[in-house]
Amino acid sequence: MTTRREFIRASAVGAAATAASMAVPVRFADAAAAQPPPEVKWSKAPCRFCGTGCGVQVAVQGNRVVATHGDPEAEVNRGLNCIKGYFLSKIMYGTDRLTTPLLRKKDGQFAKDGDFEPVSWDEAFDVMAAQFKRVLRAKGGAGIGMAGSGQWTVWEGYAANKLMKAGFRSNHIDPNARHCMASAVTGFMRTFGMDEPMGCYDDFEAADAFVLWGSNMAEMHPILWTRVTDRRLSHDHVKVAVLSTFEHRSFDLADIPIIFKPQTDLAILNYIANHIIQSGRVNEAFVGEHVRFKRGNDDIGYGLRPDHPLELAAAHAKDPTGSADIDFEAFKAFVEPYTLEHVAVLSGVEQGWLRHLAELYADPAVKVMSLWTMGFNQHTRGTWANNMVYNIHLLTGKIATPGNSPFSLTGQPSACGTAREVGTFAHRLPADLVVTDPEHRKHAEEIWRVPHGVIVDKVGYHIVEQNRMLRDGQLNAYWVMANNNMQAAANLGNEGYPGYRNPENFIVVSDPYPTVTAQAADLILPTAMWVEKEGAYGNAERRTQFWHQLVKAPGEARSDLWQLMEFSKRFTTEECWPAELLDAHPEYRGKTLFDVLYRNGKVDRFAVDQVEAGYANDEAAAFGFYVQKGLFEEYAEFGRGHGHDLAPFDAYHAARGIRWPVMDGKETLWRYHEGTDPYVKKGSGWQFYGNKDGRAVIWALPYEPPAESPDAEFDLWLSTGRVLEHWHSGSMTMRVPELYKAFPSAVVFMNPDDAKARGLKRGDEVRIVSRRGEIRSRVETRGRNRMPAGVVFVPWFDAAQLINKATLDATCPISKQTDFKKCAVKVVMA
Amino acid sequence: MIGRRLRAIPGRIRSRIAPFWTTLWRPSLHFSLGFLTLGGFIAGIVFWGGFNTAMEATNTEAFCTSCHEMKSNVFAELKTTIHYNNRSGVRAICSDCHVPHDWTDKMARKMQASKEVWGKIFGSIDTREKFLDNRLELAKHEWARLKANDSLECRNCHQYDSMDLTRQAPRAAQIHQLYLGTGEKTCIDCHKGIAHQLPDMRGIPQG
Amino acid sequence: MKAVATIALLASAMLAGCGAKHEETPHRAPSAPVLISAPGQIDPMRRGVPIDADATPPAMARVENFDRIRPVNYEMQPPTIPHSIDNYQLTRNTNRCMLCHTRSNAQTFLAPPVSPAHYATRDGKILEEISPRRYFCVQCHVVQTDAQPLIANRYEGLNTTIPEGGVR
Repeated sequence: MTTRREFIRASAVGAAATAASMAVPVRFADAAAAQPPPEVKWSKAPCRFCGTGCGVQVAVQGNRVVATHGDPEAEVNRGLNCIKGYFLSKIMYGTDRLTTPLLRKKDGQFAKDGDFEPVSWDEAFDVMAAQFKRVLRAKGGAGIGMAGSGQWTVWEGYAANKLMKAGFRSNHIDPNARHCMASAVTGFMRTFGMDEPMGCYDDFEAADAFVLWGSNMAEMHPILWTRVTDRRLSHDHVKVAVLSTFEHRSFDLADIPIIFKPQTDLAILNYIANHIIQSGRVNEAFVGEHVRFKRGNDDIGYGLRPDHPLELAAAHAKDPTGSADIDFEAFKAFVEPYTLEHVAVLSGVEQGWLRHLAELYADPAVKVMSLWTMGFNQHTRGTWANNMVYNIHLLTGKIATPGNSPFSLTGQPSACGTAREVGTFAHRLPADLVVTDPEHRKHAEEIWRVPHGVIVDKVGYHIVEQNRMLRDGQLNAYWVMANNNMQAAANLGNEGYPGYRNPENFIVVSDPYPTVTAQAADLILPTAMWVEKEGAYGNAERRTQFWHQLVKAPGEARSDLWQLMEFSKRFTTEECWPAELLDAHPEYRGKTLFDVLYRNGKVDRFAVDQVEAGYANDEAAAFGFYVQKGLFEEYAEFGRGHGHDLAPFDAYHAARGIRWPVMDGKETLWRYHEGTDPYVKKGSGWQFYGNKDGRAVIWALPYEPPAESPDAEFDLWLSTGRVLEHWHSGSMTMRVPELYKAFPSAVVFMNPDDAKARGLKRGDEVRIVSRRGEIRSRVETRGRNRMPAGVVFVPWFDAAQLINKATLDATCPISKQTDFKKCAVKVVMA
Repeated sequence: MIGRRLRAIPGRIRSRIAPFWTTLWRPSLHFSLGFLTLGGFIAGIVFWGGFNTAMEATNTEAFCTSCHEMKSNVFAELKTTIHYNNRSGVRAICSDCHVPHDWTDKMARKMQASKEVWGKIFGSIDTREKFLDNRLELAKHEWARLKANDSLECRNCHQYDSMDLTRQAPRAAQIHQLYLGTGEKTCIDCHKGIAHQLPDMRGIPQG
Repeated sequence: MKAVATIALLASAMLAGCGAKHEETPHRAPSAPVLISAPGQIDPMRRGVPIDADATPPAMARVENFDRIRPVNYEMQPPTIPHSIDNYQLTRNTNRCMLCHTRSNAQTFLAPPVSPAHYATRDGKILEEISPRRYFCVQCHVVQTDAQPLIANRYEGLNTTIPEGGVR
């Protein structure tokens, strides 16, 4: 055993070893010399990383976060964290935190080809406002765009949505969540008429079977995986099926391991529907009462630029959402060709595994939870995949009751809470309202107290289109907040980078760290992060969680909320709104956007002294009112009484999150089902009230091939994704020494035979080349992912290996979400 | 005895080989005893060489992995382990670990292996699922064999006397000294699953 | 182009430094952050290479395999794994980690036993064996390679003193 003495020596060595990167924990220093330490205060907060929404306890001493651990009181994780969560306390302390605005300058002036120089906030906003006004004069709001985030707090997203859609009159605001769960959203809307899951995490403890559709929860949602593991290992009858295009850590728990050929998940889904029907296990009572059938348009293209040959060749590229009503018999006939034999050949999966999988759904005695994230959502038929998994739950009536749960997981901490519920998409308004519906616009304008006609009726550019429009010079003033889209978006070399560096465009990036996106910008704004501001996130199970500001941001760094609101002061309504509108509503003349959007008598109605004692609130101090509370309460008006009911603001600071709809102070665990959802009428059993007739839709949709498949030259499938230790683009986790050292560089995971056939060995430097571009990496044949022949996997966290130079910007034509999982590459010795 | 052997062969095949069988056991009419003895001796040498060559052929990796279930199950698993790919480039092929080097033991193992070929031909393990279902039983055979021969095939390459413990990780060195050096344990006691994935190990000691 | 060449040179110099050593060399110089600055390049994670260029990636880092327990930053933080876990099987069939780290075996294998919290279920019940919710060790415990951080971290731990026995 290591003795105490040895341990201290080891500690000393370790501490010296990492002196620069990891401060010496004082507890290991000479105890006798210790002074009485300053008071330590523990407060709750949600984790900063994924959509699981774990609760953490954060220890603050002085103005520093000194420790975090899993919150035992938090229902989501009950005291556990994953490796990233345990190192949360370090994410704010990378020595390259941005502490002052940086502007590209030459000879003291802004210059697109200048070098970054520190400037004051005043100068930064002066230059930025001048640029935005240049574009406003030339094109109006149509030339202004914003890339937002599922990492924005609820009020940041809400304030940004107002600034863009009502202030600048531009719907070109779209979150990075478009890359993450747009297909989940369109899937929900098409099947249920209402976004977000009906079930919740309590399903984990009730299910008899778990099916992971393309998800690697073991690495991407580790804490939810502990709940699956707990259930599986504690109950012998529980089964876990894992489906993926390669073998990863989640397979370590699998009873039914399925490696399928890319894109054939669609055929497997239809086979299961066919199996349920052919074996006579359709829940006829449920289907008769609560379901109707539709056939969706097929051959809908791949969301590429409209002049791409694949789009020109597709019959329904211009109408991907079109549909026709059908009946059960027509659906039955539609899925009939998806036989076991046919699908086994198409997918390359053994018949036995497919049959076992289908039986999990077909067997009425098995409560089954389907789980998916990017495998389904980042898919050129992502909306379909979502619709099709609901099909098999609806055919069997396995839905909205404990353990029967089609469950869409999310990747970002507030993909649900901010991006979706607040409606920061190019087509959305809060609480599932859309900009194309005149009634919805009117309702939003009333709540916002802005004149009718302010909100533009056309869907704006989605985030993939924004890059294209920047390149084409259509979008000229662009603000990127809380995301790293240069690293994250596909086809970087052709569609991302040229647009940012287009001399016609002015690009602003707000971020705590100098990311790849910041590097490509003209102005960088230093941003406060996580507990440096008061915040709210909404996780994947409709749980809204609040936290207080616990420390001050370093230097001149300011929260996104402050940046948005402060910037709005530099614009008058005359500069942003058309004269006719102001003629009709003269009371809005001579006001700033700040006045009409945030000092509107609602957002500013709560005094600073309502901030809980003992906590700072820099935004309240700056603007003179409790900004967060005002924004939240105005926003909550959208949902209350409409199935999206949020609790009063203060309730969230007291609770470990509350799941909406919150009715009479009580959260809702299972929606659409009588007894658990107060919106469902007595005696109806189920009501899918997102659709007017209360019925959910089963969609007849076919298997269709992917946009690009390997051929003689580009002979391998490329899939991209994450690893456990890093979160998304790595801008936080790569700056934590322990996480960095655990997985310091991206590699290309490759089958040993594929490597051998190309004369490659583990560790060899290779070029990964696609039709779009290439990167250099190193071969890994032995790591955590075991690749089948013909498929390679490259994680995208590593800024030094921008794999999105190789990926294809094909999207689901309905959701506009990129398929980052399938394109063709070759791997050659560098 | 012969008849019984013959009867053990399925009917269709038996009817084909029966005429040869009968000829074989009829006394010679044309050849001298000397010729037959000498001829038999030469034939014996040829046969012996051929037999051993054939045996060697069945010891190659190409042979072992020529069938689907070996190639896509155990061989695929081996490829990500240190016994396939490592620092020194010395690697093990199937027979290094699974076929005894000693002739008698080798024959015994080959006889046993023919049962596995039978399994191949008649489809008892023609899917991954069936392989996983049978893995525990198959693995138990190998563990028992290696336990019984004191991990002979491991020791063909890894001899305790030749281990430089100072070049091992401290914890490995300690354990090796404590258990392998004293003979208290044999390699397979602790190194099950060194080259392939393990079946359900509940109730099976691993160290 | 010149920048790329400089980076390539820099990178190869780095590689030369950590290349040929034996993978189990017991003592290694402490890692200091590698600070690469190239004119105009602000993202240290890019290792000084412009966005539209590419450089040779660093050699694959090696897992530190010294069995020396590293300090944690604060109580309740899971310690990193101080040894290689290459090919350790951790599946529903078997858990190689717990062979040594289970309380009953820890003494035998001279390994630190897992903390008592690992035996508690989600509902707080104490089990004989490791709690199924903690079964997959690598969700919280990771190895450390010899890669040198690209940027330093200013985090400071709790300013307090903790009595003897605070180490798990």
